[in-house]
Amino acid sequence: MDATCCQPLRRFSTKLPFPVMLVMVLALYLIREEFPFSNFPMYSNISEEADVTFVTDQNDQPLPMKGLFKTSSGSSKKMYKKELSALTNPAGRDSDHATAEERAKAGKAVLDSLILRLRRPAVPPTTTALRFHVRTFRAGIDPDDGPAPEKLAEHPLPPL
Amino acid sequence: MTSAPATPSASAAPALLRWWQPRPFELGAMEMFVMRAAFAALAFWNIKWETAPYIEQKFPNGLARFIDLTWLGHHPPSDLTQYVVIGFLVLYVIGFFPALGFLPTAVFATLIGTLLNSQGAINHSWQMVTLMGLAQLVVYTWPRQTESGRNWSILIRPDLQRHRQAVFASLNVIAASYVVCGIVKLINSDGMWIYKAPLLAVQLLKTHYSHFYDTLNMPPEWLQTITEFLLENPNFARLLFGSGLLIELLGFVILISRRWSFLGGIVIIALHLSISRLMNLNFEAHMIAVLIYCVNLPGILRLTKRSA
Repeated sequence: MDATCCQPLRRFSTKLPFPVMLVMVLALYLIREEFPFSNFPMYSNISEEADVTFVTDQNDQPLPMKGLFKTSSGSSKKMYKKELSALTNPAGRDSDHATAEERAKAGKAVLDSLILRLRRPAVPPTTTALRFHVRTFRAGIDPDDGPAPEKLAEHPLPPL
Repeated sequence: MTSAPATPSASAAPALLRWWQPRPFELGAMEMFVMRAAFAALAFWNIKWETAPYIEQKFPNGLARFIDLTWLGHHPPSDLTQYVVIGFLVLYVIGFFPALGFLPTAVFATLIGTLLNSQGAINHSWQMVTLMGLAQLVVYTWPRQTESGRNWSILIRPDLQRHRQAVFASLNVIAASYVVCGIVKLINSDGMWIYKAPLLAVQLLKTHYSHFYDTLNMPPEWLQTITEFLLENPNFARLLFGSGLLIELLGFVILISRRWSFLGGIVIIALHLSISRLMNLNFEAHMIAVLIYCVNLPGILRLTKRSA
């Protein structure tokens, strides 16, 4: 900028490579995930497993999440993980070690949030309930041979 | 293209300029007009105006830690509000009091993005463009220091140098976003990211099945083949994903010169297109931002003329 008030700072910056960007990188790294700042940590932790969450009808037939809620499967997975962390972290445990009860509680919280966004006209008329599931993929295992999806929560739908 | 008069920064002896301490590029007025018009459209489009479903902020993030933003969910911005925002953006595009012109867009982008990211899921599509807008806002709001004091009139009618600084600020945000993304990969994986990269094959399964559960469109038939291939050929996977990491870590090259910016921009867009194809992860806003500021379509002709 044009101001001359910060001469020592300016002199120091002349010694740094890409000084403005360097300050931004440092700020983004330290502030982490506080919108609009982010350190963009996507895919920085590589695991042998990956989870997907999805919604089905009462017969476990998948329903298109974006059409129903304008929320993606990816977002619902992040919400689920956040809910799970909120349940397990206070007890000093990692969300990977959550109990079935905790997983069900986190799943119910997410499904309750999704129901608030439900676009009822997009729901097939024969649907009487929505179920929220998690499915885990493992490296080297064919998806069809992997563990069966786990039903986490169910929400009945009143008839139209 | 409009030729620009020499500026204090541009008039310095080229020999004294160090590539690792870059300065704003000598962009022409028309190039920057097109940039502002395209960025105004991108920034407006990047705002998720449909806030009605978001009537809670269960996991407050950013400003939502201090302010309840659920009023945006209860009272979504009306069409009239959006037209007013567009009206202000016209000021930004024509370069008349651009700080004021961009202010409503910056406010809505920040508040709505914060509310949406306070639902428990952090979406990474909006941060970079929002930060670019905020960086420009800071540049356009800064008075110029002169021998007779602070010159505030620069806020109303910024000159070419000020517009170039705004573009440079945006380029710095783009570079910083990619570089920090690469650094975080190295830190979070204890430096083992490239070694573990073959396991990203399972993420391919995840992203394609996520897309299936979003739309019920079946994952492509090649998905299983490619995931098996990546796991069976780990060094190929390391080369493939490692090159992506390298592109992120070298993101700063877009600041060196117009030519580096163009080349870096093309490579970053190619990276995003390959990720879109391979992982079904689309970062359209990032690609468009890079297209506007790095590739700079109206400036290509000027690039080729200089190289001739």
